[in-house]
Amino acid sequence: MEKRETMLESYLRRGLSRRTFIKGCVALTTMMGLSTDMVSKVVEAAEKKPLPVVIWLHGHECTGCDESFIRSGAPLASDLVLTNIALEYDHLLSAGSGEPFEHHLEETVKKYWGQYILAVEGAVSTTDNGTFCMSGGKPFVETLQRVAKGAAAIIAYGTCATDGGIQGAKPNPTGSAGIKHYTGTKPIINVPGCPPIPEVMTGVVMHVALFGKIPPLDSEGRPKQFYGNRIHDTCYRRPFFDAGMFADSYDDEGAKKGWCLYKLGCRGPETYNSCGNLRWYQGMSYPIQSGAACIGCSNAHFWDEGPMFARLPEYGPLGDIDKIGAGLAVATAAGVAVHAAASVVQKQQRDKDKENGKEQVGNK
Amino acid sequence: MVKEERRIYYLFSPFLRIFHWIMAVSILVMFVSGLLITKPVYINALEPTYTLFLVDVTRSVHFLAAFVFCASLILRVYGYIINRGDRLFPRVLEGHFYSETVDVALHYMLLKKSHAPFLRNPLARMSYAGLYVMAAIEIVTGFAMYNMADPNTIGGFLFGWVNTVLGGEYMTHVVHHYCAWGIMLFVIGHIYMAIRADFMEGEGEISSMFNGTKLLEHEPKDACEVEPPKTK
Ligand code: HEM
Ligand code: SF4
Repeated sequence: MEKRETMLESYLRRGLSRRTFIKGCVALTTMMGLSTDMVSKVVEAAEKKPLPVVIWLHGHECTGCDESFIRSGAPLASDLVLTNIALEYDHLLSAGSGEPFEHHLEETVKKYWGQYILAVEGAVSTTDNGTFCMSGGKPFVETLQRVAKGAAAIIAYGTCATDGGIQGAKPNPTGSAGIKHYTGTKPIINVPGCPPIPEVMTGVVMHVALFGKIPPLDSEGRPKQFYGNRIHDTCYRRPFFDAGMFADSYDDEGAKKGWCLYKLGCRGPETYNSCGNLRWYQGMSYPIQSGAACIGCSNAHFWDEGPMFARLPEYGPLGDIDKIGAGLAVATAAGVAVHAAASVVQKQQRDKDKENGKEQVGNK
Repeated sequence: MVKEERRIYYLFSPFLRIFHWIMAVSILVMFVSGLLITKPVYINALEPTYTLFLVDVTRSVHFLAAFVFCASLILRVYGYIINRGDRLFPRVLEGHFYSETVDVALHYMLLKKSHAPFLRNPLARMSYAGLYVMAAIEIVTGFAMYNMADPNTIGGFLFGWVNTVLGGEYMTHVVHHYCAWGIMLFVIGHIYMAIRADFMEGEGEISSMFNGTKLLEHEPKDACEVEPPKTK
């Protein structure tokens, strides 16, 4: 693979027509969240640019992101991997294994130094020199740091890679953390989610691949076109929220009728993702549509943020802040009453002193 | 009938006084509507079509009160600029502030019969500063939630960082909610202390928020903050 193919060439080599290629480009354009007048740019890039080399590393994780990735419908994950990018190394999808495979990683890093896209799934385990997560005989954190140095851009897939993931929940015995502190100053695209939506995963890598540029990011480094809205603001159950119609438990009338899941702790109001508009598996459904409250899986630290089935954190027998606050208010009021009674006594004594001419003002 | 001489001190500008009452009403409205946003009550009507309690409306009420409250801050700031009596904040850089705090605290703990006279005593000053801090927290967290409906707006740019600092938008809700309770605890203490001050000292604590003046029998320790320094 000395002269790298372009996307068009890879289509033609596989006996696909140019017409199919153009169709593919149109699909890609919409998938990347771009407007249709960008189609010509996409076609141009796909005709001229050699396929981008991608190295896909897996760290401390469950590989659930891959499960999501391979279900991408537009573009099909197989199309993406076989015709749209040059995927040189992937723990999960590669046929190769063992020493030669690890060797291939080193070769690729050397050969395409400064050019390849690095996709990372999974957290960095930091406790005990990272030995909780080993791959190819080396701690993942070492491999990551080495490979990241030569990357043109880095994509962090999944909330593990962006913020440490579920294994990073308190007390976090493996010291799991997001990758951002181990990748130096390389530009990084955060694609959180547990897992992210398949089409978001493919859309982001295609954007970088085709334009050689990072898509517009928000303040948390997430692509704006996919993380620019709260689920709550795109949720089809929102009218029920506005109308005050809620499910109070998962088996009541409200739940059956498909009312809003806010009272069951839905994190839609705090979560930025495309579930509400893209939905999953070619628009089939998403958690709320299937009747489960959103758990905010694309939020950093969602694993530590209170019970997922309630709006507010709870403190054992004390309950939530509304109970505690009401208790404190009553206690304060009671304290006030006692203090008021004592003040009345104090005032009477003071008035008596005053009458007797023993007036006392402050420190005098 | 006891006859005694008292001096009138003009403290609060009309701007501060109007602001105070706008704040009192709007905070109460925001507190109640805020709690209802977290735990909406479902008033069961014959059919869903006729549901009486609308979260949408509750939120609008909350936001309306929030905007009125924020707008009224302009009055407060204007008063602060034009009138010395509107600037009675804690003098934390002055040593006597601390000894006076202890003095007043001892009285409030009922260990001393009285405290030195003040236009506004150091504990009260601190509690009001605390209220302003809590109000500021409510405002920044509130606008962070409000504006992030579209992060690409100016509002999102101005307040979006709050969510990052607090570690996520869920935490912004939590802080906003906890701080609301903090303000309510302040309110209880504040109303009590104002009534008590009137009862104990008869200095016109409550009416001062209507007419701007307090009546003091003895020269207050902080008189210099509203009057030109005396030439001896
Ligand atoms: C100082 C007075 C205020 C009090 C006592 C107060 C109280 C509350 C409470 C208790 C909640 C429920 C929090 C939750 O669990 O989600 C809330 C929600 C909220 N407040 Fe405030 N708030 C105040 C000021 C503000 C201001 C100045 C704004 C600015 C616009 C604001 C905007 C919001 C928003 C956007 C929500 C979330 C509504 C939702 O989740 O739909 N608040 N407030
Ligand atoms: S189900 Fe969740 S995201 Fe949808 S409207 Fe209700 S609270 Fe918002």
